[in-house]
Amino acid sequence: MQPSVDYRAILRTLCHEGVDFIVVGGVSAVLQGAPLATFDLDVVHSRQPENLARLMAALEELDAHYRIPGRQHMKPGFSHLASEGHQLLMTRFGPLDLLGVIGRSRDYNQLLAETEEMEIGGGLRVRVLSLQLLVRSKEETGQEKDRAALPLLRRVLEEKTKS
Amino acid sequence: MNESVPDEQDGALAAEYSEDGVDLTLIRWMLSLTPAERLQVLQQSVQSLLRLRDAAQR
Repeated sequence: MQPSVDYRAILRTLCHEGVDFIVVGGVSAVLQGAPLATFDLDVVHSRQPENLARLMAALEELDAHYRIPGRQHMKPGFSHLASEGHQLLMTRFGPLDLLGVIGRSRDYNQLLAETEEMEIGGGLRVRVLSLQLLVRSKEETGQEKDRAALPLLRRVLEEKTKS
Repeated sequence: MNESVPDEQDGALAAEYSEDGVDLTLIRWMLSLTPAERLQVLQQSVQSLLRLRDAAQR
């Protein structure tokens, strides 16, 4: 079977169900001009109960399940989505990571002020984390994979400022 | 063939890389696109890489 990744289809489903979320990680960097390839879509979702219900409906539509070996048959429950943890999922449109918090425990409400709404085609508009905060949160985590991305992201920021 | 390859010491070529080795031409190209086009580039790149991986595994 041909492997399929369609980030726009995942985002369309989340928007269609009215889920409050912010695109973070590699896809947010690409949307802001970073030339990199990423194989999953990272989003921080609002953990308000009414939003979690909408998120559950979207995940059902996406046929989302855990992609961790041994847990592939499991679907995330309400309590998983309400936690600060990271839910690493596979959907019928590719990998989706749902993050309760990023960096120094920043959640949806704390990130909201540092987002920008972007049109990503087909009339779809999504909230995207600013590149400045993405860089800061990668600096905060101190993980090697995050540090590796920093030179590129900092240069994108510089070039954006110039243009 | 080599005649068309600029000298690595050439200032114009050096300016296309940042001091930490990041290719600025790719960044400028991506910045010239709309967010929707950037997402399209990403999706096509990932699909292409997955197809290559798939072919290599056969």
